[in-house]
Amino acid sequence: MYKLIPTHPVTNEELGIIRLSDNASIPIDEANRDYQEYLEWLAEGNTPEPADS
Amino acid sequence: MSTIAVDTILDSNNGTTASINGATPNAYNTVGKNRIINGNMVIDQRNSGASVTPTNGSYTLDRWISYASQASKFTVEQNAGSVSPPAGFTNYLGVTSSSAYSVTASDYFIIGQHIEGYNVADLDFGKSTAKTITLSFYVRSSLTGTFGGVLGNAGSRSYAFTYVVSSANTWEQKTITIPGDTSGTWQTTNSYGLTLYIGLGAGSTYSGTAGSWDGASYFNATGATSVVGTSGATLYITGVQLEVGESATEFEHRPYTTEHQLCQRYLEAIGLDTSAALWSGYGATTNYVNWQFKVEKRAAPTISGAVSGTAGGAYVTHALRYTNGSAYASFGYSGSYSPVYADAEL
Repeated sequence: MYKLIPTHPVTNEELGIIRLSDNASIPIDEANRDYQEYLEWLAEGNTPEPADS
Repeated sequence: MSTIAVDTILDSNNGTTASINGATPNAYNTVGKNRIINGNMVIDQRNSGASVTPTNGSYTLDRWISYASQASKFTVEQNAGSVSPPAGFTNYLGVTSSSAYSVTASDYFIIGQHIEGYNVADLDFGKSTAKTITLSFYVRSSLTGTFGGVLGNAGSRSYAFTYVVSSANTWEQKTITIPGDTSGTWQTTNSYGLTLYIGLGAGSTYSGTAGSWDGASYFNATGATSVVGTSGATLYITGVQLEVGESATEFEHRPYTTEHQLCQRYLEAIGLDTSAALWSGYGATTNYVNWQFKVEKRAAPTISGAVSGTAGGAYVTHALRYTNGSAYASFGYSGSYSPVYADAEL
């Protein structure tokens, strides 16, 4: 399970995701193996929890 | 002091360059010859020598990844069993089988290392100029027989190999020479360049015939001994070296600091002594902390850590800026994180 990190308050860019099993912060970088796992999880039809407002 | 000034040193047959201390020096067997990082198993940032039951795709000692199609079939521990390492070494990676599991066709159990493309680009794999390489390592097992492993890329080329453990519970050095692969696509930048798998048991789906390159993804050699097939069986390994050439040379003992820094490109841990690695005493709702890495990472890393905070400190930290050189994280209220990991492993 994953949760989105709030977007940047000024640029609104996506800043990453949180892996809820260990609260790790994962960058949006396709060279990162954890982000690759997240993409696979998304491809399976899953949806991350929304970011805290 | 005498000085020798010559242009060429030849062997007694006036042929190739003379051997010096058992090796013929060339561009590939001097400093930096070993493409394996932490081959002497001295660095264990994640577990500090503790035994772990690895999950599929999880790392154990630094740079050494494990794959397991079934959970809880083996443990990995630096210096498991506390036996004496081979002469010249102080550490080894120890695998212990947790049960007597009969592998099915689609099972695989492995310890391995993914070598970054930058570090093997000169091997010219995938080209007609591909270089021959030699793998060497020390192994000690409670079992005897033929064991296996694989060298390959990110899933489409594999060279299965075998080695024989002749005596139980005895360190033996093994050497496998592998011709360079002139086919396939091999990455030469910051992704998977070359992968070494040491088989602990695999079924027919992931096992290949030893001794040739195949366009397949194998994890072990056909017929290899299954370590996970015997409860309590052990496989200890150290002194792993992968070098250019047709013969193994002495293991390249790099300075500890050098080995540690090589590992830190893939994993950097701070606060392993439980000190406050990243700390904020300011009581605002959100505090920001910058972590400048000691070593530039292979890619933007995943940040994780254990929370140790005061009221409100249990807020999750979020890395808000990721680069290969630093991370910028936030705390909720005051709190500290220790240890903290920046993981950019392959």
